[in-house]
Amino acid sequence: VSDDGPGAVFHALADGNRRRLVGFLAERESATATELAAELPVTRQAVAKHLGELRAAGLVEGERLGRETRYRLTPAPLSDAARWLGDVGAVWDERLFALRRHLERRA
Amino acid sequence: MEVRREAVFAATNEEVWAALTEPGRLADWFANEVELDLRPGGAGVFRWSDGSTRIAEVDAVEEGERFAFRWRDETGGEETRVELVLAAVEDGTRVTVREQAPAGIQATALAGEWSWGVQLLASLPRLRLPARAA
Repeated sequence: VSDDGPGAVFHALADGNRRRLVGFLAERESATATELAAELPVTRQAVAKHLGELRAAGLVEGERLGRETRYRLTPAPLSDAARWLGDVGAVWDERLFALRRHLERRA
Repeated sequence: MEVRREAVFAATNEEVWAALTEPGRLADWFANEVELDLRPGGAGVFRWSDGSTRIAEVDAVEEGERFAFRWRDETGGEETRVELVLAAVEDGTRVTVREQAPAGIQATALAGEWSWGVQLLASLPRLRLPARAA
């Protein structure tokens, strides 16, 4: 996953329909654009476009089987985003704790 | 996308501002060695005893109110933006820290939608995430 992975992931998930697609894919092993379009009030073409964005963010991968492409979730980039938040957040928690002690020492 | 933390300290605004911006003070709690040219465009260097070093460039200095900079690891990697905002509250001084992910455009566009992001990330265990590839 590239350095700007979390940013790309959050951009991909900024759209409600794309989040719903992620939700549907999370409940299934895999699905085609046609199957997913049946779940959403959008065209198959729109679903294919959203899948393309999710794919670009590394959230979804497609495997061509005969005439159809089956998509499935590859949520590793989500875990990168979560990891960034967790790591950076934990470091700031430590720093703020150290700042509190620093201020107390001087009080 | 950003990390945001808030804490209230029982100290005056001047005291907290000094702790956040004076190199001698920062060296007592933030890093082991600190160089900081506290003006927009000024450079900062933070060194820790574990050998890591972060290089910073100051973006904003509003005395007693706001200190913002961008920084990155000396060895490379992503640059991130950090903002510290001070506010007087009943019990002392509240410090709000934000550190933004580097893809600034997306982060700004998404700032208002962050709440769903937290929910989504909170739901991740149910998605049975594969372990990160080594």
